[in-house]
Amino acid sequence: MITFRKCAVLTLVAISFATSASVPATTLKRMSLPDLSRAAHTIVRARCIANSTRWDAGEIWTFTTFDVEEIWKGSAPAQITVRMLGGKSGNLTSTVSGVPQFSPGEELVLFLERTLAQDFSIVSWVQGTFRIGRNRRTGEEIVTQDTAAFAVFDPSSQRFETTGVRKMPVGAFHSLVIASAHAAQGSRQ
Amino acid sequence: MKRPITLATLCLCVFTSVQIPDAFSYTTDSTVPLAGGCPQPNRWNLSLASPLNRRWSTSLPLTSVTVLTVAAQRTPAQLTEIEQSILDSFGAWAGVTGTTFNSSTHPGFIAPIARVSTANSCSNDQENNIDGLNTICFNQSSTAFTTGVLAFTRVITANAPGVSVGVSGPAAFAGQILDADTLFRNDQQAIYATPGALATPQGQGAYDLESLLAHELGHWFGLDHSAVWRALMFPYSPPPGQFLGDRPTALAPDGPLSDDDRAGIRSLYPDPNDSVNIGVISGRILPANPFALANIPAPSTGSFVTGIFGAHVVAVDADTGTVVAATLGGWSCNVASQQLQFDGSYEIQRLPLNHNYKIHAEPLEGLVTPANIGDAMTSLCGPQQPGACTTPAANTNFNVRVRPASP
Repeated sequence: MITFRKCAVLTLVAISFATSASVPATTLKRMSLPDLSRAAHTIVRARCIANSTRWDAGEIWTFTTFDVEEIWKGSAPAQITVRMLGGKSGNLTSTVSGVPQFSPGEELVLFLERTLAQDFSIVSWVQGTFRIGRNRRTGEEIVTQDTAAFAVFDPSSQRFETTGVRKMPVGAFHSLVIASAHAAQGSRQ
Repeated sequence: MKRPITLATLCLCVFTSVQIPDAFSYTTDSTVPLAGGCPQPNRWNLSLASPLNRRWSTSLPLTSVTVLTVAAQRTPAQLTEIEQSILDSFGAWAGVTGTTFNSSTHPGFIAPIARVSTANSCSNDQENNIDGLNTICFNQSSTAFTTGVLAFTRVITANAPGVSVGVSGPAAFAGQILDADTLFRNDQQAIYATPGALATPQGQGAYDLESLLAHELGHWFGLDHSAVWRALMFPYSPPPGQFLGDRPTALAPDGPLSDDDRAGIRSLYPDPNDSVNIGVISGRILPANPFALANIPAPSTGSFVTGIFGAHVVAVDADTGTVVAATLGGWSCNVASQQLQFDGSYEIQRLPLNHNYKIHAEPLEGLVTPANIGDAMTSLCGPQQPGACTTPAANTNFNVRVRPASP
């Protein structure tokens, strides 16, 4: 016989907050906002225009074109191209977990590194990707990190904490990033 | 933080025991054939004549320690210790009963492991790295690595029958995996430890190699991330010094896995002789108010979203409370018409018989979000016909009310 009950998963979620993982994926190292700001050559607010896929250096890459709306750190042209490993080309699909995907029209804040090919890639992939949405009630612009919704283990305090950026007003996030970028710049001088 | 239920705007009903067309029983990446039709789950075409080839590069960084072992660095004993971790990680998946590559019932479907000695054997940025040689590399400097990316797995699948890469041989079906490589970066941004080394004081700062490898091998076999916390395919690794599940033993080689992982691999590689894990629960998740979906853009011309897409549907053993299996709900594909529909359908297969189950659905806004399984969602719509199909955004704004099944 099959029986049903709603939302026992809340318990599971509670347990998860008590015991969950320290790294946002098997592939990524945990980075704080100052860490990301320090690693990024350029931080922009941008709107996705289009995706294309092609081979380069023996791999399939997805190239996404963005219109740059604001530059929060470094410099960038009015339009940039971001390359990420994976995509579909001809009869083949290359899948890499942890790589962000973008849809035309969506707005994001991206923490960028220059590649050897002189285009851009994203610091720590999904971790350096922040999507802009709107608060359903107030209409206020908010930003959520692709890897926001998990508890991370802080080895120094031996405690689990939720540290990702989630549904933060864009203005407040902008201030945090600018402060982090200035702090990172100061620590290099 | 989970949204308080009082703020939820939708009230949903879970309908069960409804006959539905095909949907996947697990969160898996898929391929829409070039010729069109239903998405096919990505998986290998394994047989005795065409076993999974596998190798690893014994090249390790000279100036830094990437893999911590009990044996001394750069000795033959170290390579043996690392290789044992690789074999045990494969053994976890091959140890699952009820699959077509179980090491006891179907020996020989995974080839013996080979060694290569060159650095960058997985990706050298100079030639075609997609070669049909399935390789694990610990000494990689691919341009794909950006700051903070420690390791990743790249899986290549065919979009049509007949396609091949390197030594893979031609694909028998769309969605067949042709090549898989796992790359660990070599600049000491992270250190990995074998089980023996993890138990030492130095190992407390290292990541468990077997937990990471077994997770990456789950991607090799075609699984995407799971939102079940205990699952090995949960997207987040254990903290340094810790490992997931139980260590494998001769009696329980699949100890590191959870029941959800086992159900997932069984659903991709079902043994036709399995008479135990053949239970199926299916149904649809529908809004109490059908107009609640009216504002969702049509996924394709003439098609509408008629159910909740992107719900995490979980089967729990009613007697033990153990999570047995889970899937990404919200879609189905009509086998006869080959029409994909976002109708709220779900299907959980490969459940052990003679157990009682509870089913519940939850929004993917807990520890795992839609971004964690983006490939699984977007791959439902093929790219071959631009504009023909767009996967709707996962609906994370609901809570659930259950309508019991009719007897």
